[in-house]
Amino acid sequence: MNYFVIGFYALLIGSSCLAAYYQKRSLFLLLFTLTLVCFLMGIIGGQPALWFVTVLAGIIALAAGTSYAWREFLVLTLPRDMSRALKTAPLTASFGLFVIFIYAVMGIFAPVIAPHGEAEVISSAFAPADANMLLGADQLGRDVFSRIVYGARNTVGLALAATILAFFIGAIAGLFAAVRKGWLDQIMGRGADVIMSVPSLIFALLMLSIFGTSMLVIVVIVAIIYSPRVYRLTRAVAGNVVVMDYIEAASLRGEGTGYLIRKEILPNSTAPLIAEFGLEFCFVFLLIAGLSFLGLGIQPPTADWGSMVRENATLISFGDVTPLIPAGAIALLTVAVNFVVDWMLFRASGLKE
Amino acid sequence: MTNFKKPNLMDGLAAEAREGRISRRSFMQRSMAAGLTASTATGLWTGAARAEPKRGGTFRWGIHDGNTSDTHDPGTYVTRQMIFLAHQYRSYLTMINPDNSLGPDLATEWSATPDAAEWTFKITDKASFHSGRKVTANDVVASLNHHRGETSSAAKALLTSVTDITAKDDTTIVITLDGGNADLPWLMTDYHLAICPANDDGTIDWESADGCGPYKIDEGEFGVSWSLSRHDGWHGEGAWFDKVQMLILNDPNARQTALVTGDVDCVSLVELKTLALLQRRPDIEVDNVPSGAAITMPMFCDTAPFDNVDVRTALKLSMNRQEIIDKIAFGAATMGNDFHIAPVQPFYPTDIPQHEYDPDKAKSLLKKAGAEGMSISLHTADSVFSGAVDMCVLYSEQAKASGINIDVVREPNDGYYSDVWLKKPFTAVSWGARPTPDVMFTLAYKSDAAWNESHWQNERFNELLLQAKAELDQNLRAEMYREMSLLMHDDGGTIIPFFNNFVFAHSTKVQHNPDLAASWACDGARAPSRWWFA
Amino acid sequence: MGDVASLILKRLALGVVTLFVISILIFGAVEMLPGDIAQAVLGQSATPENLAALREQMGLDQPAIVRYFHWLTGAISGDFGNSLVTGERVSSTIGPRLLNTLFLASYAAAIAVPLAIILGILVALARNSVFDRVANILALTAISSPEFFLGYVLILYLSVKTGLFPAISSLQGDMSFGDLLYRTFLPALTMVLVVMAHMMRMTRAAIINLLASPYIEMARLKGVPSWKVIVFHALPNALAPIINVVALNLAYLITGVVLVEVVFVYPGVGQLLVDAVSKRDFPIVQACCLIFAATFILLNLAADVGSILTNPRLRHPK
Repeated sequence: MNYFVIGFYALLIGSSCLAAYYQKRSLFLLLFTLTLVCFLMGIIGGQPALWFVTVLAGIIALAAGTSYAWREFLVLTLPRDMSRALKTAPLTASFGLFVIFIYAVMGIFAPVIAPHGEAEVISSAFAPADANMLLGADQLGRDVFSRIVYGARNTVGLALAATILAFFIGAIAGLFAAVRKGWLDQIMGRGADVIMSVPSLIFALLMLSIFGTSMLVIVVIVAIIYSPRVYRLTRAVAGNVVVMDYIEAASLRGEGTGYLIRKEILPNSTAPLIAEFGLEFCFVFLLIAGLSFLGLGIQPPTADWGSMVRENATLISFGDVTPLIPAGAIALLTVAVNFVVDWMLFRASGLKE
Repeated sequence: MTNFKKPNLMDGLAAEAREGRISRRSFMQRSMAAGLTASTATGLWTGAARAEPKRGGTFRWGIHDGNTSDTHDPGTYVTRQMIFLAHQYRSYLTMINPDNSLGPDLATEWSATPDAAEWTFKITDKASFHSGRKVTANDVVASLNHHRGETSSAAKALLTSVTDITAKDDTTIVITLDGGNADLPWLMTDYHLAICPANDDGTIDWESADGCGPYKIDEGEFGVSWSLSRHDGWHGEGAWFDKVQMLILNDPNARQTALVTGDVDCVSLVELKTLALLQRRPDIEVDNVPSGAAITMPMFCDTAPFDNVDVRTALKLSMNRQEIIDKIAFGAATMGNDFHIAPVQPFYPTDIPQHEYDPDKAKSLLKKAGAEGMSISLHTADSVFSGAVDMCVLYSEQAKASGINIDVVREPNDGYYSDVWLKKPFTAVSWGARPTPDVMFTLAYKSDAAWNESHWQNERFNELLLQAKAELDQNLRAEMYREMSLLMHDDGGTIIPFFNNFVFAHSTKVQHNPDLAASWACDGARAPSRWWFA
Repeated sequence: MGDVASLILKRLALGVVTLFVISILIFGAVEMLPGDIAQAVLGQSATPENLAALREQMGLDQPAIVRYFHWLTGAISGDFGNSLVTGERVSSTIGPRLLNTLFLASYAAAIAVPLAIILGILVALARNSVFDRVANILALTAISSPEFFLGYVLILYLSVKTGLFPAISSLQGDMSFGDLLYRTFLPALTMVLVVMAHMMRMTRAAIINLLASPYIEMARLKGVPSWKVIVFHALPNALAPIINVVALNLAYLITGVVLVEVVFVYPGVGQLLVDAVSKRDFPIVQACCLIFAATFILLNLAADVGSILTNPRLRHPK
């Protein structure tokens, strides 16, 4: 028993009692459960386990604080109608927006932010972190931090381009199929079946072996692989909208297909599409990382998080965290995107509880 | 047990091999310079742990590079799985000993006519196939003929100079050549030339996977695993393990964890990135054996800008080989000097000056050639060797100091050797070790060779190559190979960054002799018949 | 029920057409791959004469169309031919591998599906609570990590550091069922993590989506406890999307596990397929792809039939 342990439990129990006294029921439950769990962890894991909990709580508090401040900042700076929507946003969504903002800044200003070049060899292999290299060096002695920053541009840019292209192809095809119906619908439906039935990794493997692994080819092939999923969703959602009375009214008014899609159907089917966007973005990311794993990813020396994980993956057996950093960067972004998507979905579903 | 590890062993090894002290001496002693560097080095750490071999146990061996579509046909041997397996269940005429000298396998003695154009091999009468039948000269003749004439065998090129193979009696084989070849007994160690049972019509029965090697196959599946048990009628000495289990572990991480967690006793390849970390473990011993396998970077000597010898030399001088060895091979390599003989190979010439990293000299050479600030593309693929792309990227960074812009193009792994190699003017290539300089030079440096990967034409070189081949006087041969090496070094179109070492690891429960053959990983792929459990 | 039967028939017919188109697509793709099979088989050390000899031996000197129809006529009569490289029957090459893959997939599904649905219901019950948030974050992290990376992390903690489970799942013929489950636990767990999050999130979303419906409100106003509202009122109506996402993930368990197989050295179809692609072994590639496609089509059909059967309105169309 030392001061840290005593202080740790005192703080937890004290704040639980305060919460109970002020009738904050859920806060009390949360704090006291945490106390009980910590007792258990303290017995099993000893002081390091308690440190772990403290650090974790600190990180969560920091993230929550950042999210809160970021939300207030956005509310104050953005135009009125947007700030009103943001006021009610949960902290997770604000956190997601913050992460996306940081990644965007990192990607756009990569050459300014990164202290070293993407392919620049500046030290010996696996040199430890120092003032010059925040995260140490990789297997060639390149700065890992700089490569992560550039990776934001390359990897996110690539995945974003592929996802947007997939949505563009899939959504347009889906909307047309829903409006026109008939043989066009049938043919596109079967085409989508064919592409979806072939396992995506194998399809990508075949296509990339044939056409080479330039950025453009990767974007197009990944978009083709994922567009049928978007197509099916759009077709289903728009199919439900098309049978509505107001669409019939509009088409009786003599509006053209383009008008129907743009003004009537699209606004009424965005919510599920946005939700799908978040998930698809994850999948595209993972597919590209998987392709890198099989040796078919982005061309070197371009920094890419997927190949950075692969290049150093074996280090993890020895408890080295180097490969965890880019993997964590991937995970953080996808989590952030999905937080924002969840919030949008919540707003769109009209479920206000 | 004691287990000494010299901390900077690899540096020492590399330095020793570079200076070639030891190989020179062994070359003087017996016609070939063998991997005594390897033996001395390994001796340093296993010497203290030496013990008498004992019988027993199941040797579980994780090997890399195995496909589900591999076969038992010796003509199609290409992956490590097929090659390593072949060394267990099949035998060869001759074999490379742990000390890298040539030794007997099935053949007990061999001799040649003075012009080295007719060779007679005598085989042991003790050998039998797993099915029980005795191995006779007929089996040998059929097995060698499998790679001659109308065949799809990849070893055909090796035996094109053979005009006739006959069985004189049950244990004598006579091989006639269309010209002298002093290296024929060495060629017989080639992994394709495994001896299989002959059919009555003179073909061989490879489908049944019957062989006359130290272990017989109990069951197995290509790309997955193989279970073998000792063949009691084996003609050789050793085969201490009762059973051998080969697991195909293509993923480097899977291999490594399998070794660390004790799921296998030995792995055939260790990922170099984690070499230092693995060496720290007390229960694992890493073997680091210099080999004759080379990484080459051929430039087309008939294509601009490589048609100018100054440009070629500038490119050779723009490479910081030590940095490449440190960063790409993590020290587990021997520095190359742009001629294709490794220090562990026979006839290695020791007195050729090393090409050092000299961007200034490279710059002035480029200026002389009028090619300052030139831009070239270097084609490579991940599959060439692990770290191939990294090596090219690193080289392109180094070459910037000489004002050369090298654009690294990563090609798809599939079809790299059919669509990129020999097609693009500047590529990275990985070569397996060939037993003698003659084989290597004839294959890739002779003017009219199908694989003359650098399109290099040198009259003097071709002339010397033919002379040396039929020369039985080893000192004269050595002189000729030295001159050829010098020609490649000064004029040739191939950059050789390094010769890679075999780096494999085993649990300390497994013991081996201090000498380890440099022909394949794991003691010339014969670990199961040469090693034992402590 | 006649409608359902005719729907199944129609969909099966369409499925056959889809398979046919896929077979053409795959054949074309394999033909277009750079390099050729003879080169891939003989490797770097092959001479042009060797290659020509081997090509002739494999029948590659015939035009592509002829070879395709040769294969097609065989396939229609149930004969998928022999592997070009090994000469073995395609069925005997794929058969044992397919069993392994199906075993691993059902192992993972047996854990993942019930767990995902129960967790999904629980988080829907406790929506917007800390429990919901934590489960959500964990689920998102799991689906956002590359599978091979999840595998490596599991190996590190459950095998290298603690030695609880074997790092490689090599199978032997004479293993007991319990031993089999033990040896394949890590790959199964990796796949559980990969697919569970998606199913859990969909279950949660489908249930929450229904909570705004008037009939749920009615039930709640009647004073039904909220777990009963969700399990008895919301869940049955949320089944259709849940079944869909389960089917999609089951298909993924069978067809998308190449990376897990590589990491754990598990002898499944995925590894075979990647090898066959690199060797241009067309009959194997074709058979594997068709098996995968058929799996996907059948599971999709099952999902559609399932959602029709669980929804009376779809069962009895107006």
